[in-house]
Amino acid sequence: MTTLKHDIDKRTLMQRVFEPRRMGRMAPATAVIVYTVLILWAAFVIFPIYWVVITSFKLPIHVNAGPVYLPFIDFTPSLHAWNYLVVESFNDTARSYLNSIIISLCATALCVAIGSMAAYALARIEYKPRLGVILMFVALLAGAMAVVGLAGIDWRIVFAAAGALFFLLVRAIGNRFKRRLGNGDILFWIISQRILPPIVVIIPIYMMFQSVGLVDTHLGLILAYCVVNLPIVVWLMHDFFVTIPIDMEESAQLDGATRFAIFWEIVLPLTKPGLAATTLLVLILNWNEYLLAVFLSTSNAQTMPILVAAMNAGDRGILWWTMCVVIVVMIIPVIAMAVLLQRFIAKGVLLGAVKG
Amino acid sequence: MFLKKAILGTLLAGAAAVFGVTAASAGPYDGVTVKIMTRPGKVIAQRIIDRGEEFSKATGAKIVVTEVPFAELFQKIQTDWSTGTNSIDVGVFASGWAVELAGAGLLEDLSPYVAKDTKLDVNDIAPYFREINQKIGGKTMLITIDGDFQMIYYRKDILEKAGLQPPKTWEDYLAVAKAIHGQDMNGDSKPDYGSCIFKKRNAQSYFAISTVAAGLVQSKGTGEGLFFDAKTMKPKINNEAWATAFRLYKATGEFGPPDELNHDIGDTRALVTSGRCGLVIDWGDIGPLSIEPDAKVIKDKMYAAINPGWKKVLDTATGKLVPCDAKSCPYAVDGVNYSPFGAFGGWAGAINAKSPAKVKQAAYDFLSYMNQAAQSNVDVTIGWTGYNAYRNSQLDNIDLWVKAGFSADAAKNYLGAIKSSLNNPNMSSDFRIPGAQQYTGVILDRELARYLAGEITVEEALKNIETGWEEVTEDFGRDKQRDLYKLSLGITN
Amino acid sequence: MTSQVVTLGNRPEPSAPAVVPYKENWSEWLDRHSRQLFITPAIVMILIFAIFPTIASLIIAFSRIRLTGGGYTVRFVGFQNFYKQFVGNEQVHFLGKFTSMSGLGWFVSAIFIGTMLWWLYKALKQGTTVIGFIGRLITAAMVIGIALLLSATVLSGNQWGTLGTTLFFVFLGCAIQFFIGLGLAFVCSQPIRGRSFFRVVFFIPLMITPLGVGYAFRMIADTTKGPFAPAWQWIGLGNFAWSSDPWAARFFIVIGDSWQWIPFVFVIMLAALENISREQIEAGHVDGASSWQIFREITWPQIIPVAATVMLIRVIEAFKIVDLPNIMTSGGPGIATESMTLHAVFAWRANDYGQSAAVAYLLLFVTVVICSSFFNYVVLNQLRKK
Repeated sequence: MTTLKHDIDKRTLMQRVFEPRRMGRMAPATAVIVYTVLILWAAFVIFPIYWVVITSFKLPIHVNAGPVYLPFIDFTPSLHAWNYLVVESFNDTARSYLNSIIISLCATALCVAIGSMAAYALARIEYKPRLGVILMFVALLAGAMAVVGLAGIDWRIVFAAAGALFFLLVRAIGNRFKRRLGNGDILFWIISQRILPPIVVIIPIYMMFQSVGLVDTHLGLILAYCVVNLPIVVWLMHDFFVTIPIDMEESAQLDGATRFAIFWEIVLPLTKPGLAATTLLVLILNWNEYLLAVFLSTSNAQTMPILVAAMNAGDRGILWWTMCVVIVVMIIPVIAMAVLLQRFIAKGVLLGAVKG
Repeated sequence: MFLKKAILGTLLAGAAAVFGVTAASAGPYDGVTVKIMTRPGKVIAQRIIDRGEEFSKATGAKIVVTEVPFAELFQKIQTDWSTGTNSIDVGVFASGWAVELAGAGLLEDLSPYVAKDTKLDVNDIAPYFREINQKIGGKTMLITIDGDFQMIYYRKDILEKAGLQPPKTWEDYLAVAKAIHGQDMNGDSKPDYGSCIFKKRNAQSYFAISTVAAGLVQSKGTGEGLFFDAKTMKPKINNEAWATAFRLYKATGEFGPPDELNHDIGDTRALVTSGRCGLVIDWGDIGPLSIEPDAKVIKDKMYAAINPGWKKVLDTATGKLVPCDAKSCPYAVDGVNYSPFGAFGGWAGAINAKSPAKVKQAAYDFLSYMNQAAQSNVDVTIGWTGYNAYRNSQLDNIDLWVKAGFSADAAKNYLGAIKSSLNNPNMSSDFRIPGAQQYTGVILDRELARYLAGEITVEEALKNIETGWEEVTEDFGRDKQRDLYKLSLGITN
Repeated sequence: MTSQVVTLGNRPEPSAPAVVPYKENWSEWLDRHSRQLFITPAIVMILIFAIFPTIASLIIAFSRIRLTGGGYTVRFVGFQNFYKQFVGNEQVHFLGKFTSMSGLGWFVSAIFIGTMLWWLYKALKQGTTVIGFIGRLITAAMVIGIALLLSATVLSGNQWGTLGTTLFFVFLGCAIQFFIGLGLAFVCSQPIRGRSFFRVVFFIPLMITPLGVGYAFRMIADTTKGPFAPAWQWIGLGNFAWSSDPWAARFFIVIGDSWQWIPFVFVIMLAALENISREQIEAGHVDGASSWQIFREITWPQIIPVAATVMLIRVIEAFKIVDLPNIMTSGGPGIATESMTLHAVFAWRANDYGQSAAVAYLLLFVTVVICSSFFNYVVLNQLRKK
């Protein structure tokens, strides 16, 4: 880099246009292409958002009669939709908003904490569960549920019995199973929990929550969101932990630090960028979750995405203007969060696997 | 963890303090809370909230309205009631949905309440809603707060200019649509559409196709039924009548907006209120909507007419169409067999059988309050409530509607169309048996959508529907379904 | 009941104090059990909240469930719900319509069958475990099955069902998202001005709730009152409705899906690109390598592992696509844009829980086979190469 620094540019015109003068700069031709791409893409990204924002200031007639583009020029903006949402139905909006904030923050914190611990463990400790025992466990669980579902015996009794049977079996024949699984299998099992479309597990989850009184509570949604996003946290954080050099941890261990201390004081600070990115991603997913929210909440724990869906008034058509207000209101805190966390993410490292 | 809990607790307590509602004054239902679940937004729900406040002032009962997106409403109520969560006391939903809930024994029988009720004046409710819509198996299970069935609307000014009569049959409808298609109807000098009928999948096209088919299929009165042979529970679908209706429904698309296949009723109504449609199928809503400020272009121009009929009807024995005569269609007027379709049945309130007795009584009193003429006669004239007329006193009293903003002529026409529909002895009933959503929303709707999209022929579509319906019927039990179907048509033997 | 995965794998900690019995304090106890404590919360939560509903829904898939006054009734119906999808009256809906296969169809299937057989033969020759070979057999069978299905439906001029539509969304969508996401990340990793601005802007679509994206795109794609309505008129397509044309509708949905998910690929690939040491690239420049050579020889090998993880997560999520087709077209025209999840949702809304769960499990099966093939034969290969 330094060699080229101060000489007079002796290169040919072609070289001047197509090759960078030095590293850290772009050749003019590249710059043209790069900025064109950036601006075009920014336009493609921003336009739908712009449309949503201006629609939130439109009267129904402006939406229905054909497109108008520029506030104050094409049409006179109106605050009627904003007024409806933030003044007339303030209570509903504020309650949902507060719920959304509480639930998504708590769920994200819990999920990132538990998930990164598991990810760290999977990156550093070797686990070797026996395949046979796991299959036995799943078979017993399925059997117990079939008994509950078909024979209608109280679920508490059946599961207690199945649990006892399982422990007896493990003691008795657990050691016979030779085939073991590795960390990779556990990881794949964890990510596979995200494959099933949530729609089919809604009713079982509802019944489960209902029997322990978690329906329409904040805690219920927090737990559900936490579990749903654990796989993503474990995967992203695992990729990150494996790339941290192990030397520091080893020397700390020699100094007598406990595993928790190492994790908390050495490993986590090293992974700030990854942690920030993962947190942001999970926060966004929690903030925007709809299906679980609809079913596991009635009114106490109702969250914002339900309001978006609610603006589709079925036979009265979609209240585009109010819906756009909800979308805009929902996106503001996330952008704030992104700007806040961007500091950490922008440091460069996110998925450390690259350094491997 | 403790800290988090503490924070959470504080926040929750704070939220409760901010949004908690203070108790109302003394009344017979002090301390009783009635939790109502319905669909969100201003339409339907807002009026319940407003009337709920009045009701609590008068009686002390607290009315809490929870709103759930329309697509999830039925599942929500069903899971809540059948799994024993019982966090909802009253569901306000489509009356047709109640059959499934009543079949599972989840609904309170309201007949004794109605018998004791002195303010309701139940005989003022139009017969179709009173006898068919509110009742399941002869017992009153629901209280109507909105009366729904389909009519057609036409732009009087456009038709007059073209020298056309409002359509009496569906063939007329097509001819009129063709004649006026492409004219400018709202003064923006852009061509507008002859006919707008929603055709989106998984939306309301099932109602529209039934409206078109009703006059062809059913000619012997409400008890004949539109979808099944009440004796054998065999689907009455794979025949020339439905095939003709399917073809006509598709043909109306030629005179509609280009993306009509992706229009649901909301899109259609947006076009109607901005004056872009010459003819439409819709519920009663268009009337009150046309006097709203958003709809200036169509004020007093959108006239209603009873669902057009057909000059031929289905001969159930052969599956062929036969011309209308005194024998084949006893209720025909001038050789045209009309059959208004009670689409959706209207929004109605049902009470959870497992709620405490006092709550049930309060809930009933509230629903009755909504239904009573003093309240509903005002509500049905307001466009945004989404409530349509269902009481005779509403239909006879033109002043009510003029006061709301109609011109006398438009009000007379609107009420006349409703009355002639509701008093038609051949009115056809919507699906009111268990599995209705599977029969219509999944099978009929999907095959119709595939036919409209050109994926399959009409014969294939009808054949698929027949097979699908038979499977659902078998699944629920043919005899059980037949008995319920008969009951839903008012056949009691 | 819950900690067995950990306890079973537990061996005596090598560093644990061997003999002397003494009273340990709680932090020592914590440390001694850190092996289990680190992973147990996650495993327990997943077991309780995910395994139970998963098994419950599997039972539902084999039965007819009806919600009643006292909860629910279950009637076991065996494979009927699945059977229906393949040969019963849902066949056209799920798989598509078959007539005789066209020449092109035969040609394409022959290529796929040949490739798979060759791949199996190679695996056998190189030596593989029994389980490994069974895994390859399953993968090969699925690839051949999908190839035959697509050849018999779309390549022979017939309609395909929800399975074909889902695969179309997944493969086209993920490919577009990967290449554009990577391309943008590459552009953004150049020394540009305003990088924070572009980063945040490019990231925004991911922040909008998927429902919101669906509605926003429905608004924008509207050809009569959307922003591009005049443009449609102007190029003479005023009477063309994308929503009435199967392929146009599918492409519109892919565009909407990509708009939302490119940022996901972008952000992570950008981080990966920025992690590459500059020295190597500079060395490449000094050696006179072209930009393309530098990308291929230095950059690409280093970002492969991240790319694989991103795509794995993305593919898993893409298989569940439901909001966009539901909101934009409700699966129409006909069944042209109905994904398998939407298929399950429609059945579910009609209280047909059994069929809904059956479709979802078929989706699970397809996803697991495709993802684990991808994981085993692509990701692990790449990791081994390192």
